[in-house]
Parts: sequence; structure tokens; C-alpha cells
Amino acid sequence: MKKRMTALLFAPIFALLTTAAQGAGAELHLDKAPNKRTDNAALQHGAKIFVNYCLNCHSASYMRYNRLQDIGLSDAQIRENLMFTAEKVGEPMRIAMTRADATAWFGAAPPDLTIVARSRASEFGSGPDWLYTYLRSFYRDEARPTGWNNTVFENVGMPHALWELQGIQVKGADGKLSVEVPGKMTPEQYDEAVADLVAYLQYMGEPVSEFRKKLGLMVIVFLGILLVFAYALKREYWKDVH
Amino acid sequence: MAGSENKYKSDGTLIGGALEWVDARFPATSLWKEHLSEYYAPKNFNFWYFFGSLALLVLVLQIVTGIFLVMHFKPDASLNASGVPVAFASVEYIMRDVEWGWLIRYLHSTGASAFFVVVYLHMFRGLLYGSYRKPRELIWIFGLLIFLCLMGEAFFGYLLPWGQMSYWGAQVIVNLFSAIPLIGPDLSEWLRGDYVVGDATLNRFFSFHVIAMPLVLLGLVAAHIIALHEVGSNNPDGVEIKKHKDANGIPLDGIPFHPYYTMKDIVGVVVFLIVFSAIVFFMPEFGGYFLEFNNFIPADPLKTPPHIAPVWYFTPFYSVLRAVTSDFIPFLWLFIAAIGMICVRPSKLPLLVKLGYLGFVGAMFVLLGVPAVLAGWVGIKLTSIVFVGLEAKFWGVVAMGASVVIIGALPWLDHSPVKSIRYKGPIYKIVLALFVVAFFILGYLGVLAPTPMRTLVSQICTLIYFGFFLLMPWYSQIDKCKPEPERVTG
Amino acid sequence: MSCDEKVDCGRRRLLVTTAAIGGVGGAVVATPFIKSMLPSERAKAAGAPVEVDISKLQPGEMLTVEWRGKPVWIINRTDEQLASLKKTDGDVADPKSEKQMQPKYCQNETRSIKPNLFVAVGICTHLGCSPTEKFKTGAESGLGADWPGGFICPCHGSTFDIAGRVYKSKPAPDNLEIPPHVYLSETTILIGEDKKGA
Repeated sequence: MKKRMTALLFAPIFALLTTAAQGAGAELHLDKAPNKRTDNAALQHGAKIFVNYCLNCHSASYMRYNRLQDIGLSDAQIRENLMFTAEKVGEPMRIAMTRADATAWFGAAPPDLTIVARSRASEFGSGPDWLYTYLRSFYRDEARPTGWNNTVFENVGMPHALWELQGIQVKGADGKLSVEVPGKMTPEQYDEAVADLVAYLQYMGEPVSEFRKKLGLMVIVFLGILLVFAYALKREYWKDVH
Repeated sequence: MAGSENKYKSDGTLIGGALEWVDARFPATSLWKEHLSEYYAPKNFNFWYFFGSLALLVLVLQIVTGIFLVMHFKPDASLNASGVPVAFASVEYIMRDVEWGWLIRYLHSTGASAFFVVVYLHMFRGLLYGSYRKPRELIWIFGLLIFLCLMGEAFFGYLLPWGQMSYWGAQVIVNLFSAIPLIGPDLSEWLRGDYVVGDATLNRFFSFHVIAMPLVLLGLVAAHIIALHEVGSNNPDGVEIKKHKDANGIPLDGIPFHPYYTMKDIVGVVVFLIVFSAIVFFMPEFGGYFLEFNNFIPADPLKTPPHIAPVWYFTPFYSVLRAVTSDFIPFLWLFIAAIGMICVRPSKLPLLVKLGYLGFVGAMFVLLGVPAVLAGWVGIKLTSIVFVGLEAKFWGVVAMGASVVIIGALPWLDHSPVKSIRYKGPIYKIVLALFVVAFFILGYLGVLAPTPMRTLVSQICTLIYFGFFLLMPWYSQIDKCKPEPERVTG
Repeated sequence: MSCDEKVDCGRRRLLVTTAAIGGVGGAVVATPFIKSMLPSERAKAAGAPVEVDISKLQPGEMLTVEWRGKPVWIINRTDEQLASLKKTDGDVADPKSEKQMQPKYCQNETRSIKPNLFVAVGICTHLGCSPTEKFKTGAESGLGADWPGGFICPCHGSTFDIAGRVYKSKPAPDNLEIPPHVYLSETTILIGEDKKGA
């Protein structure tokens, strides 16, 4: 009886709450980014794409080149294959362009990308999901000053930096994107390349994440052992209490 | 107890001698006995009694990690060579360049949320077992002040990473003060030290966060514990163990805090640390609730993020703030007037207080409610009316402040013959459940962007929230309570 | 562990074991905090070895580079300057460089890897001023007719010969420090590291 009364009391609140939870803003459908966070070959490929296509306009100013040792590269490999603008491997991934110049040329300075994979997470998906979908959703739009638009990031300021690889997409009447002019890569190859790039961006967002999880496991196992002893000790003492 | 009993007598060993030397100069043994080995706590503490010691643990954790973060953090809003605010960059510097900096930072950011989890549960324990009732009113008041202080500490600290959420959160909250009549705009400018949140604000918030608030907090925690040890702990049965003592003056249902509760609390600490570590090591962002995603973008004074919400621990109170729209104000006053009729009239309060209350509410209702209702009849848009010079924004701030401060009135609102929920009647159980549900809904809605429906729900929950407190003098008296036992059970 | 009859031995043993495990945990937790105070990656990067191109350094010329915030000199010494070292042997405090102010591979007559190329930290061993070069010899230098060329510290007048060896009876106690360095090629020196980086 009491339970039914309580249920009756709460029913309208829950009804209101479920209605309230709905009706949020527009839904954003994101493709799931393949998880390549621990795949060093993919990360190295992603790093190469990043350095060649992104690091001209976007800095990654919290990321030091020699940190790339994490993904299995030696200082010599980093120096030879990835460093175009810095002199020492200990330097961060800066760009030559100044903020003032960038603002004058593009209207807004391209954002630093070190932790972009962390900032782009939302209720619709993880940061990597957003990036993976975004980088594959550019289409030709002559109405835009850059000639490019994006279905994930409407009226994006950035032109399609990877268009040579993907080719040129157009938006059909149904809102779907299709490749009109093929690029250097097939759609499958392009998706793969973007997945590698996104994996690298994810790595760069938090290089310590894999070590963090390994360490966490050890910490929890240790605390589990401590718990057994602490509980035994408590039981031992509490024998006195009646 | 005689002073001589509390002085250590050397047993001839080196350590014994050192203890005797110290004891002759400092009350080490007597403090130890008074607060630990001869502090008698009821033997029937349950799960809910872990959170006091856990709050102390988290406080220490925050202070220690904070000390090490301050070694590397720079409260500087100017842009560095890469165009990033120095403060924001210094946080990433801690996360990457400082050896183990990431761990210390995650411990601190997770610790902030853990502090509120633990403190909310600690406060809920008080609601369950009537821990605020006589003679523990001051413990409760000190506790509420700790909670207020903690909110300040968290708010000031949240600005420091200088991300988008830090920036706009501070902007919104500081602007709340501008709602205060007459002095508001000047006050918020004075708080910021600038026309918008800026470098000056960052520097002073840093000062508050690392010096001012922690000092006050430590003092209040000491007062909270001293007051507790003066009157002794409550327990899940809500009966006073000091009523039944043995020949030596030791409560029959009491056990020494040390070693029994120290050993028990260690188990609680380890369990807490397991949960805490799981978050720190496996989900430090906690789905955007502990570290908000937008805060990984440096503060940009020219661009507000599409949706800003406070961190989860503020959202219930933030929802109360948002619930107070101009067309809600008349209802609020009607509600308060109705409560006055129910509670104040039959209470034992002095006549003058009753008249004062009724006069105040009546005046507010006439001034605010009646014009609003009249305006509604003649079809004037309510939002365009300025109620005696005060806007809804002001009443929102008042309601938010009241929703926190009112917690301190509990000892005087509760007229129940028993303390613990174990012996309270069905009304309190239902009302408390409603209150908890309303509190959770308010918290949940505070995270979301407002819609008309959500605002309505939050208004209903706001009324439930205040109803829990304001109607307590009435429902706590008519509730069918069971008789309290003489001694603690189980 | 001794255990008399007054205390419960099982309980004591459990207490000590638990305390030991907890203590180990505490010590491990302290490590990250202590280590966080070591030089960070930024400090390490700033103090990283410096690569110097010496292809354009003519005999008799000097180049100053910064390494770990300190001036490092690279001097391409002329044959005359090298010959002067024989003459100053008797006037300097530590002619054989017996004090460890240089890596092992520079403990020789010229205090260098290649005889003519001299690398040294340009900080006086007295109180940390940076000496100035006085390569001009004789009276023209203002340091007396028999000045063979070297360095003088502007702060307290310590003088050093062209191999950074301090003259006798000067405030500075030691020869100038020689940093670890290595020739990456004929024309590049890496300062701050002994071996070629990986």
C-alpha cells in the first residue's frame, strides 16, 4: 500500500522528467572512429599526415617532438621524417605563422590542435568520433568564401586541407555526400588515412592515457590486497564489541 | 578527568622518555585521549558514518595535490608566444611536461568532485538520523558554513584552468551579484577587478583558492570537530548514549573511537580509494562531468560556448536560480504565504515573530503577487513588469541563496519527537524521498539547456525543495512516529 | 618479533602486516609528488644539447652559443696561439688540468679534442661573471708587453690563457669549465653530450 502511494506520488514527476529530457537541440550523427589508439603503425602514419597537412596552419604547441618516442619512433626518425619547423627534438610543435598574420589572412587564427580530440567530445560521441566524421564531411560549396562547407561543422572556416587525398565531395538533394572528382585515394583508403590521423590526434590529446590505465590496474589490485588486510584487521578488533 | 592521568609516565625507554618530555610541555597524551582513544562513539555506526572521515581525507588530498600544482601553475591570462593564455598552457604543461603532473592534476580535479559526493552523502546522513537536532545545532551550522566555503573554493578553483567553461562560468556567476539592488553592478565589477572576467580576476581567484578559502575551511573543520567532540556523536537510532553510563562514567553503548572506528574507517578509506582510483585512472573526465569538454578550449572572451552549465555539484542550486522566472514569483510568494498559514500559526513561536512573519509575507504578496496577478488579468506581459524595482534575476539569486542557507534552519524547523528516520512516521519518509528526487531532478536539469517544459519541472521541484524545509514544522508534528528505544539497537 | 603475553599476538601480527602494506603504498604514492619537482620536459628541452655549425669559423675567431642558459665559447685557435700555451705553462695554476674541470678526453695540453678548436663554458670559476676575450698580444692588449692572449674577467680581474687555464694568484680558483661535447661531423659540434645522439 505504502509503496503504491509512493509510486503514485512519483509518477507525475517522472512523466514530466521524461518529457523534459527530450526536445534538446538538433541531433548530430557521428560515425564511430575505429579504435587505433594502441596501433603504433597507424599512429606513426597519422603523425606523418598531421605534420604534412595540419602543422602548416595549426600548431600543437603543448606537444614536444621527442614525446613521439611513445609511439615507437626514435629521435633520429623524428628528426628526419617529421621535423620541418623546429631545430631540437625537445621543442613543441609550433608553426611559423604568427597569430596576427593568421587572423589577417583567415579572419581567425586556426586553433591549436594538441587537445582538440578532448575538447570535441559531446553527448553525441567522443572527440575522435567527431573528428573522424568531420574530416570526411567536407563538400564543395561555392557560396562559402573558401569554397568548402561541412555537414558536421556548418560554415566552417577551414578549407578542406585533405581534398587532394579525398577528392571533391558534393552534397546531394537528399543531404548525402558523394565524391564527384576522385582524389589520390579510394574512399576506403581515405577513411583509413583519416582514422590514422584521428588516432594520432587522440594520442596527442593525452599521450599518457595508455600508461594511466596500466598503472590504474596495478593501483586497484594493490588496494584490493590492502582491503583484504584492512577488513581482516577491522574484524579482529571488532571481536571485542558486543 | 584529572590532569595527572593525562600525562605520560616514562617506562624508562628512549621513546618513553621523549613522550614524557613532550607531555610535560604539550598536551599530546591528553589530546590523543580526548579525541581518539577515550572519545566514546556509539557502537552502532553504519555505512552512512564513513563520510565524515572520508571528507577529511579528501580535504588532505586536495591540500597536498594543490601544493604541488601551485609549483607549476601560472595564474596569468596573457597570451604566450603560441597565442594561448599562459594559465591554460601551464595546466597542459603540468599534464605533459611535469613528471607525474598528470596524476597530481587528475587527483585534484577528481578530488574536487569527490569532495562534493562525500559531503552531500555526509549531509544526507544528517537528514536521515536527525544529526542536526539539539544539542548538535552548532555542529550543523559549522557544517553548513564548511559547505558554503567549499562551494566558494570550488568556484574560485574552477576559473584557474582558464578554459571556456571556467571563463564563462565565472562570468555568469559574478554577474549574479549585479542583480543585487543599488550596489550590484559596482559590486560585480569590484569582484572582477575589470569590466569583464580578466587577468585581475584570475589572480584574485587564485589567491582566494590557494590561501583565503583553505584557511577558513581548516578553521571551520576544526570548529566542526571540536563541537562534535564536545557533545558526542549522534547515531542511527538518534538516542543519546550519554544517558546511560557505567560506574566509570563511560557510556554503555559507547566504544573508544580509536582503535574501533579508526580501524573501521580505514576499511572505508580503502574502499573509497578503490572507487576514486577507478575514476582517476580510467575515466578522469567522467563523461564530461568532472572535466567538462569545453574546458579543453582556452578562454575566449569573444565567443560563448553554445551551452554553458556549471559543474554537476552546483547544478541543483543553479536550477533553483533558473526556475525563478518573473511569472513564477507570484506563485513563490503565494506558496510562502500558504506555508505561513499552515506552519506559523499553530507553532509555539512568540506572537511578535508570528505577526512579523505574516506581515512580511503579506506585504511581499501584496507588493509582488497582487500586481502580477492583476497584470495577468489585464493581459500585460509579466516579463515586462519590474516588481517594485526588482527583477526576476534578483529573486532568482535570493532563491538560490535561500536554498543553501535554509539548510541551516533545520534544527529549528524539525519538531518531531524523534530524531532518526527509523522511528519517524511515513510522512517524513515520503517527504524525504520526494526531496531527494527533486534535488536529483534539479541537479539533472541544471546540466541541460532550459526549455519551457524543463523550467516548469524545475519550478515544481523548487517548490518541493523549499516545501521540505518550510513545511517541516507542520508535518513533523503530525507524523505518526514510533517510540524511540532507550538504548541503541544492533 | 617478540610478543609477550599481555598483547594479542595474532592481532599484533595483523596490525603490523597491514601497516607495512599501507606504508609501502604511502611510500609509492610519495614518489610521484617528489618526482614532480625534478626538471620538467620543458627544462630538459631548454637544456638539451646544442648543435653548432663551425664551418665558417676562421682561425683566430670565436663563436658564442647558449647551452643551459650559459655562454659556451668555440674558438678556432691559430698556431701562434697554440704555441703560446707552452710559454704559459709555468704561469698558470693548474698547467696539467688535474682538477676535473673538463671531460677526460680534454685533459691534455690544449684542453680540447682537436688541438686548435677550443670549447669552454664562458663563466669565470670565481663568482660566475663571463670573462671577455683578450686575443690581442703584447702591450696592445693593455695587459702588459708579455700578454700572450687569453681572457680576463671584468669583475675581479682573473686572467686565463688561451686554453682557459687560470693564472696563478688570481681570485678564480679553477680553470674554465669545458662542457661535454662531441664532433657530429667535421663541421658540427654537439655541445652537452659526449656520444652521438640516437
